[in-house]
Amino acid sequence: MSNIEPHALGAEAFFDEVQSFEFWFGAVEGYLTDRPFGHSSDTVDVALDDVRRDRLITTLCNYCVGETAALEGSSGLVRLAPNRNAKIFMATQVVDEARHLEVFLARLKDLGVDDAEAEIQRRANPLLLDFKDSLLELVDAGEWSSAVFAQNVILETMEFTVFRAHERTADPITAEVLRGVISDERRHFGFGENDIGRRVAQDPDLRSRLKDLRTRFDAMVVGVFDDAVGELALTGEGAPDLSRDYMDAVSRLGLGQ
Amino acid sequence: MAEFLSQYSIQRWLEACPQGYLEDTVYGHEAGESEPETVMMDEAQREAAIRTTTQLVVGERAALAASSGLVNAAPDYASKQFLATQTLDEARHVEIFTQRMYDLGVKKDDLESTLSQFANPNLIKFAEVLLEKVEAKDFIAGVVGQNIVLEGMAFTVFEMMEAGARDYNPKFAHTLQGTIADERRHVGFGENRIGSLIKENPEKRPEIEKMQRDMTYFMLATFADSFSGNPDPIDAPAEAEGASVEWQGVNLATATPEEMEALLAGTVLGEFKTRLARIGLEYQSPSMG
Amino acid sequence: MTQDPGADSAGASGSSDGRRRYELEDVGFREVPKRWRKFYRHWGGPTDELAPNEMLCPVCKVIVRSVREFREGDRLYCMPCMTRMVVVSDGNGGLIAQVVF
Repeated sequence: MSNIEPHALGAEAFFDEVQSFEFWFGAVEGYLTDRPFGHSSDTVDVALDDVRRDRLITTLCNYCVGETAALEGSSGLVRLAPNRNAKIFMATQVVDEARHLEVFLARLKDLGVDDAEAEIQRRANPLLLDFKDSLLELVDAGEWSSAVFAQNVILETMEFTVFRAHERTADPITAEVLRGVISDERRHFGFGENDIGRRVAQDPDLRSRLKDLRTRFDAMVVGVFDDAVGELALTGEGAPDLSRDYMDAVSRLGLGQ
Repeated sequence: MAEFLSQYSIQRWLEACPQGYLEDTVYGHEAGESEPETVMMDEAQREAAIRTTTQLVVGERAALAASSGLVNAAPDYASKQFLATQTLDEARHVEIFTQRMYDLGVKKDDLESTLSQFANPNLIKFAEVLLEKVEAKDFIAGVVGQNIVLEGMAFTVFEMMEAGARDYNPKFAHTLQGTIADERRHVGFGENRIGSLIKENPEKRPEIEKMQRDMTYFMLATFADSFSGNPDPIDAPAEAEGASVEWQGVNLATATPEEMEALLAGTVLGEFKTRLARIGLEYQSPSMG
Repeated sequence: MTQDPGADSAGASGSSDGRRRYELEDVGFREVPKRWRKFYRHWGGPTDELAPNEMLCPVCKVIVRSVREFREGDRLYCMPCMTRMVVVSDGNGGLIAQVVF
């Protein structure tokens, strides 16, 4: 069986495989087994000074806002999904997002935050809250393509870029937690790009609608990203380049300027 | 509340489900298991199995729509997290029962038309009552409808079917065993989470009890449709003689469809009454006339 | 001569279609089910040298591997991000993977 290479599959068989629960199940087993709350019990925590600890708490609180947006967005999208594969994939994304929320909440608790919900409210970036509201409006309006674009392309690309950069400078436990989250994000933005890419190719009107949407979201996304980079002090060489990752994604979809 | 909800975390779910009883299964059963030849070679039996599996797919699709919709309506993170795991459980059930349709010979292109042909209209109405509450983002009514009524029904129906299939169709029995294990968590969450919310919102009781009455009406009508004139209503043919098919003290291999209907309805309704009483609601009997 | 980075212990060999063939082994990429893991590996960044049977997925930056060397027009799939691709010329004598929607 293992001698069959994935590239020999037909397109339909490929999507049947990768958008199934069975695939998700085998994938997460590889990187979540023996990592309760996203990290191995062997990973040693390090003491953070007050400034770094406080910055990390703010960052994690905003990760929780982003993950809650994605959790509520993806759960609403299950019903809107146009076919069984997409429904099952979205259901796997729902549980991925809920797991991310859970591991970030657990990390906040490690850092001494007792009332995480209050702390998140206090530290949430208003631009990110605006983004969440806009995303959920699209979901409530039943707009599958726009919501998938906002969530699985824009939000996930932003998270992927920030998490990868943060993982390189984070303390050992936060870094390990982030690596597991990044592994999930690959599936999410990959699904988004493929789904939207196929639809844009078939529907020229959709391209212009998504371009408008992109314009609407750009300011929020860039603002949130800049704040995150500042909070994590990710400047200079090796700083994450959202504009490159984001522009690559929208260019592949034909939604560049 | 936070203490009990920690039992319903994603972490617990990962350890219990993907890394627990589902490990090494393929579409919910052991690798290499297949539908019995007696089913595949006999057109009437195969169609009965497709008809039964259709109801499972329809029911699980409703549960998937409801649980995903309830994530948004949940008032706290812990409930959102549990409902996220339930969403994936339900999607898995849709997947494994759909796979069974294919295993029974339904072609992929014919799936939707086959489901439309065999779906019980009363089961669809049952789902619509629930989804109306979910659409309205009514968390308490939605969880009672989903996790107490729908899951309570599914739990009992699956147990009966699993008993019927255990010896003659191990593949289907194994598929159902994993599903039953999932349902245990769902009904547990429903009871544990909603009991306190009903206490805090007593004004919701009449509306929720009406929903339960309507759902029960359509559930009983579904059972009546499924058993009347159907020689194999639980997908366990009488040929499985000598097999261990006892459930709730009744031999399913020799029971008549009417006896099975009465047994199933009686068991489900008994469970409803007990569960509803535990969360502070009074069971409402539907008028079937 | 440096070792071909796409080949594992069994190394590469020729085949009847003139393409080099590769015995793949799991090299620690754990984001897909076990049976597919040997077809992927983590990317080491811009200095990571790709073998003839390897392509970089432009969407999720994972290395996609095949049992034979890639040629222009080949289809390939990135399972970690679910992307379909085709091998095209990069205009500089090399090959790259281009996303297909």
